[in-house]
Amino acid sequence: MQHVLVNIPSNPVFERVVRASASEVGQAIGLSTERIEDLKLAVSEAVNNAIEHGNRREAARFVEVTFLMDADKLEVRIRDEGSGGARIDPAPRVVEEHNLEAGMHRGFGMYLISALVDDCEVSSSHHGTTLTLRLYRKDGSYE
Amino acid sequence: MSEEVIRREEFGEVAVLHILTNSVDGISATAIEATATATVMRPITVLDFDNVAFINSAGISALLKFVVSSRKAGHKLFAMNVSPHHQKIFKMVEMSRFMPTIEASDLAAYR
Repeated sequence: MQHVLVNIPSNPVFERVVRASASEVGQAIGLSTERIEDLKLAVSEAVNNAIEHGNRREAARFVEVTFLMDADKLEVRIRDEGSGGARIDPAPRVVEEHNLEAGMHRGFGMYLISALVDDCEVSSSHHGTTLTLRLYRKDGSYE
Repeated sequence: MSEEVIRREEFGEVAVLHILTNSVDGISATAIEATATATVMRPITVLDFDNVAFINSAGISALLKFVVSSRKAGHKLFAMNVSPHHQKIFKMVEMSRFMPTIEASDLAAYR
């Protein structure tokens, strides 16, 4: 298994670094353009969650992102240094009239993550949360 | 000096807001939201995504400010030059209900 490790401080500007890495890894393993876009968005959402909700934007806390590649899959682990408690809510979250009026425009992240990757899971403790995303290779391709 | 994120074009009843940043995300969201006021809009307002390569949920949140502002003003809001990937994402979160996609050629009659 090969792996690529990216470690960023909890500053949202560095989410772009991880996103660029996701794009490069996706190209390296032969993902289609559309699957690379899915991967970039899922990783972006996961990293932003780790920065905002896990590490609470404390620059001294890091977000560690590991891309692991083997013959069957690409796995991405996003680990924060927060106090845990995160969970996955895969329920569709859409723009609704009453939310617009109330100014509630957030909360699409976990839904997008769960919809754009083949599977995802979360493990959480008092030492932090790790969100694991997977894309599986089927019949020699990731389509 | 802050980077310009939107360039405005106006003709007749139409305002076209060309998004200049290629990443509509948490970094550009504040500047994008700041432009989402009724004063930049016209009865038909179009967000042009031709330069946009990436949109995440923070970016969607910023774009929803245009939806709110246009609805308050009684204006119609459209999106154009939306990539197939972003059309998929807009459909997933049902953004397309509030900001349907049009073709640039649809605006020809207003020029």
